[in-house]
Amino acid sequence: MQLEAYLITQEPYYRPIGDEVALFEAAYARRMPMMLKGPTGCGKTRFIEHLAWRLKRPLITVACHEDMTASDLVGRFLLDASGTVWHDGPLTLAVRHGAICYLDEIVEARQDTTVVIHPLTDDRRILPLEKRNEIVRAHADFQLVISYNPGYQSVLKDLKESTKQRFGGIEFRYPDTEIETEIVAHEAGIGRAVAEKLVKIGQRSRNLKGHGLDEGASTRMLIQAGRLIAEGVALGSACEVALVLPITDDADIRGALSQTIAACA
Amino acid sequence: MMVALPSEIAPAKGLRGAATLSTDDFSFVDAERGLKAYLMALWRLHPILRGAATQPGYPLPRRVSFDGGYVRVPDLQTDSHPDRPGSIYWAALAHVAAHLSHARQRWQTGTLKPLQIALVSLIEDARVEALAIREYPGLHRLWAPHHTAQPGSAATAEILMARLSRALIDPAYRDDDPWVQKGRTMFFDHRLQWEQPAISRDIGGLLGNDLGQMRIQFNAKTYVVEPAYRDDNAGLWDWEDASPQQADESDVPIESFRMVRQENDEQSASSRRRDESGTSAVPARERPVAADAGIPIAHYPEWDYLLGRARPDWTTILEFETPRASTVGLERLLHDYADVEQRIVKLIRSARVARPVRMRRRAEGERLDLEACIRAAIDCRLGLSPDPRVYETSEMRDRDLAVLVLLDISESTKEFVRNTTTTVLSMERAATALLAAALEALGDPFAIHAFCSNGRNEVRYYRIKDFHQPYGALAAERLAGLRGGLSTRMGAALRHARSEIRTQPFHRRLVLIVTDGEPSDVDVPDRKHLVEDARRAVQELGHDGIDVFCVGLDSGGDSYLTRIFGRRNAVQIDQITTLPEKLPAIYLRLTT
Repeated sequence: MQLEAYLITQEPYYRPIGDEVALFEAAYARRMPMMLKGPTGCGKTRFIEHLAWRLKRPLITVACHEDMTASDLVGRFLLDASGTVWHDGPLTLAVRHGAICYLDEIVEARQDTTVVIHPLTDDRRILPLEKRNEIVRAHADFQLVISYNPGYQSVLKDLKESTKQRFGGIEFRYPDTEIETEIVAHEAGIGRAVAEKLVKIGQRSRNLKGHGLDEGASTRMLIQAGRLIAEGVALGSACEVALVLPITDDADIRGALSQTIAACA
Repeated sequence: MMVALPSEIAPAKGLRGAATLSTDDFSFVDAERGLKAYLMALWRLHPILRGAATQPGYPLPRRVSFDGGYVRVPDLQTDSHPDRPGSIYWAALAHVAAHLSHARQRWQTGTLKPLQIALVSLIEDARVEALAIREYPGLHRLWAPHHTAQPGSAATAEILMARLSRALIDPAYRDDDPWVQKGRTMFFDHRLQWEQPAISRDIGGLLGNDLGQMRIQFNAKTYVVEPAYRDDNAGLWDWEDASPQQADESDVPIESFRMVRQENDEQSASSRRRDESGTSAVPARERPVAADAGIPIAHYPEWDYLLGRARPDWTTILEFETPRASTVGLERLLHDYADVEQRIVKLIRSARVARPVRMRRRAEGERLDLEACIRAAIDCRLGLSPDPRVYETSEMRDRDLAVLVLLDISESTKEFVRNTTTTVLSMERAATALLAAALEALGDPFAIHAFCSNGRNEVRYYRIKDFHQPYGALAAERLAGLRGGLSTRMGAALRHARSEIRTQPFHRRLVLIVTDGEPSDVDVPDRKHLVEDARRAVQELGHDGIDVFCVGLDSGGDSYLTRIFGRRNAVQIDQITTLPEKLPAIYLRLTT
């Protein structure tokens, strides 16, 4: 196998919220392209890692960005001493050798870049390499997964309609109190009581979405705060470091968050 | 919002000694945004906060006062803890939020005596605080330090009540007074029934009787709720049958509530504003549209599709002065869209002027463009002549555009939006105000004009803001002063907009028209005529390189809007309530 380095050998912790694991497995059985929607830090990437581990498939992750070109995905000719040599991009690699290719934050990439995935995501399942004059037929194990956060930026950046309609979707939210407490306690290695407080703080900060914050504190942030607490930092300071300061530069909102934390603790 | 805070007068009036304005003086205005976010985060409340201004002839408001979603905050600084300036505002708003989130209907004052009212309110304060502390234990640390009453002090009603307040929140507090002890025991015996507001009434009533039998004097006129972070409790009671004596005490807040309640309608809003300021500095005028004060400023031809040519000088544009009105109603409407405003601010930041764009394959530049280099090297080896453009550079791409927002204010905009109490025009106003704020932040020059018509000789044109004016209080008052009426002669208005914007020295010029119906006028029986004329006008603007984009609010208007503006240059909004959100978004999408 070509992609040993991309195999996940240890089980990544993931606490299912609903039936998303079963849904995804069904989708994988039919190699249906999937999109994972949800706010930042709610577990999308962890979910796909967990699934790749479960399905024993290599996982190739590409973080998309504005400047990304189609060749960054597909591959390009490079020079070496004897002449040119073709170098497969991450997408081609996954298509050729049968991995799950995960395009993280796909909306960040320009729309004309993302159209290269179109022939892969319908019945054809092929990837034409125009520069190399080659058509790569997708390996039987290949599946394409994209993620995005349907937030405020969707006005300026959105997927093309023709891209969207090729995917099945699974929506992720921040988990319910009970489950989120379990996750925070497990990941940070702290007691339930402290985790409960952190989750309460997190949920209150999410009330500020659209009222000063673009997003409330994510589960990931709460885990980070919990980890500091596990290292012996007081809850107030841990939240200040892991949550209040990173989340906004607005002094008024920071003040409100600090008071909110004080009220919950 | 700037409200004159009465801090200068407070020491004299409050008789609280040497509290003077120091350099680190902290006022409500400093904390307002944070406080709003605080209420939103913990309780999902977003009340309207206002600094309580002084009114001549009335005592200075000394306590917070609330009514439904409306909270007045006076200057509390003199009562604040010297070490923690501003902490009293957090305590005060948290207390109001405790009331609001454990709310119920108001109580009838009925036959209750002032003392009983005060005591019922006191127990209610303790009850809602106890419930709030159950949910948020940290609030205890916020409130408790403000309770400073000491046992053994003189047994006047006011002091006993302050001691009782402390006894109810501070478990470590010891007080030997039998009345205070009784109150405390009764309150905590009911701990399982704290969810029920009725217990406040029972306990308060009983304690009031006891105090009465002890013959302790209570002066309702001078009574002020202690500690200072608590509100005046006027929001708990229905004062409909209040005796003159009680009404006197709570005169100021109650009056303002009554006025607030009527505020949906704008006349009273403007009168309230006058009341509030105590002067007539901002006269709110309500002028009917029918004021015959228009000045003819231009004639324009109109296209006759049957003749296949224009009728020269067919329409007359009359410019009317836009009446000004209080912006309170507009502010209230915008308040509902606070989250939208935030989102727009965010959008603007990403659409901001002059952002760097990477320019690849340049003949010169700061860096090598790796792609181009490789391609050139490959070409060399293949024996082809390479492309010499192998550099890349970053350029700042400027926004170079001006926009004219043209509002249709014809009769149909007076209709109510389905399932709401707002009119289409109010929505247009709110949307325009949000868009204007966005444009101001972007730095794009813009003008806001409005039109309606009454036959071809009277196409009315209103200027809310011109290109050279800033968007400020004046423009907002004019926006609020727009009144719907008459018809929609769109072509003439567009032609005039063209003459307004064509002189703007910008690369891109855009007319953004917001309309809610098909062009029509009283003197035109043929429905198609004005549609065709407007279409012609759009083409004329196109000849000058001026883009026209239409936001249609008529869900059935697809056919004629497409006819006039073309399929790509019109957008239909089915749910008018989303207009304030959509309009700035549409603008940004058009121009980014």
